[in-house]
Amino acid sequence: MTAITNDREFRAALDTLDAAQQRVIAAAFVRNVLHLCTDERIARVLEITENRDASTSALDDALKTARATTIDCHTRCGSEGDWLAQAGYFVARAAVAALTPLGQMPGGVAWQAAMSARMAQTSKSIVTGDDMAGQESETQYRLLAGILNT
Amino acid sequence: MSASFEKGINTFKEQIDAPVATFFSSCVHCGMCAEACPFYTETGDPSRTPITKVEPLRRIWKQEYTLLGRLGKLFGLGKSVTDEMLTEWETLVYDSCTLCGRCSMICPVGNDITYMIRKTREGMALSGHAPEGLIGATTRAITIGSPMGVKLPALEAQIRHVEKELGYTVPVDVEGADYLQLLSSMEIMNFPEFISAIARIFQHAGVSWTISSKAFEATNSGIQIGVSEIAAELVERVVKAATELKVKYVISPECGHAYTAIRWEGPNLIGRPFDFKVVHILELLDELRSAGRLQTSGKESRRLTYHDPCQIARRGGVVQQPRNLLNEVAANFVEMPDAGAMNWCCGAGGGVSANERADELRLKAFKRKKQQLEEVQPEALVSACSNCRIQLEDGLEENEMDISVLSLTEIIAEHLLDRKQQEGQQP
Repeated sequence: MTAITNDREFRAALDTLDAAQQRVIAAAFVRNVLHLCTDERIARVLEITENRDASTSALDDALKTARATTIDCHTRCGSEGDWLAQAGYFVARAAVAALTPLGQMPGGVAWQAAMSARMAQTSKSIVTGDDMAGQESETQYRLLAGILNT
Repeated sequence: MSASFEKGINTFKEQIDAPVATFFSSCVHCGMCAEACPFYTETGDPSRTPITKVEPLRRIWKQEYTLLGRLGKLFGLGKSVTDEMLTEWETLVYDSCTLCGRCSMICPVGNDITYMIRKTREGMALSGHAPEGLIGATTRAITIGSPMGVKLPALEAQIRHVEKELGYTVPVDVEGADYLQLLSSMEIMNFPEFISAIARIFQHAGVSWTISSKAFEATNSGIQIGVSEIAAELVERVVKAATELKVKYVISPECGHAYTAIRWEGPNLIGRPFDFKVVHILELLDELRSAGRLQTSGKESRRLTYHDPCQIARRGGVVQQPRNLLNEVAANFVEMPDAGAMNWCCGAGGGVSANERADELRLKAFKRKKQQLEEVQPEALVSACSNCRIQLEDGLEENEMDISVLSLTEIIAEHLLDRKQQEGQQP
């Protein structure tokens, strides 16, 4: 029974996963924060990411859509930031990470998806004052342990 | 004549110093600056040539500071600057110029046209002819301390996130640290992984550093809009924080104009030298590399190229350092044509990206960057400016080019040698 209690163990465990497994767990991280993104494109992209039978071209198209959403959701330089909207930007970035081919995402696909998902919660917490980012990492540990234990 | 127009005209007059007068006197009307500007080359619109953008300043110089101009004014001849003219010129001066400096490099008589456009913005802003986006950013910079409204609690939340990820403390307000690291709001909001990257690098290299809770913002909207008093106020905040913390160096982050503002314009804006040195993050990383304090392992196998941010390379002289760093981590690096000091602008600097009205134009200007990229066909594009990064992503997306955009500092952080692991492997 694998238990993950900190980020060092978390990252080490992620590094043992192959490309398909990385995508599965990255998609799970995105799913957990999807409610923070109001752009419907990310929900559709996530469905494709989660589909183990998705074709290469469908995944490529999904990645392009996720990237386009990221651009549309970012806070432009010099404009007034809205941290709740920014949470959606980080969810979109997590989706981009989940779809990026292995080896092309600094730090790893699933790790980056996890970090962006936490950033989404951090962005929300800047407005609401809660500490959901801390809870998000615990949830991610459980999600990964669950996959490793099946 | 409205009060703001009169104030603007007076400001234009105040901008005409010896260099400006010399530049106007020595312009040979060759048109070479036109071919250096992506806003002209990619639109073909003759009104967007660099020298045309400074026409309000030229008219004032001619009427006020030349014999022929003064005589003409006396007899009601010659063209005067009017409020209508400034309205028309607003889009040329702000939407069609990133202050990238390429025109200044190409001028055969050595006129610094960018310097003149920067001065033209002073008159434009005070006469009430600046874009809404820049006015908003500048107002927030003065009242909140960040053009994007980023307050300290938001930075603290991002820092907590980084500390949780790394397992060690990110230093804030540490008196006596060697380096004060500034951050751009773009990094705090859109690319917080930059904070993680510098924390990892500094931990690895044993750098004594801190962030200031009182002045963390690197960007300077006063420079972009063209109001020196505001630019000076923003520089003073950094100087005050650096002095209170007794640091030896201030580090400008991955932001182009922030570097120009604090390093090159800063002392002139406040009218005295700094008690500390300013370095760009890439300069520091290269120094650490050179001293053997920054060691990397592994290389990126993808075909990488580097986009030189104009203010860092052309205006700032940081050209070789990023290449030295890339040499450490890139196995397949390729230079774009015109790379380095003559690199083509991404199209979004100088406040253009903060100006929604200029969106169509900035994506047109990107077409020149697109041509550069098409010649070398990279798989990933590395840069060192958050604003360039967003523009490059936007332009690539718009043109359906499948190229990843990466931060150089973040790549270095990803390739840091794990010294504990290395020691464990040694016999």
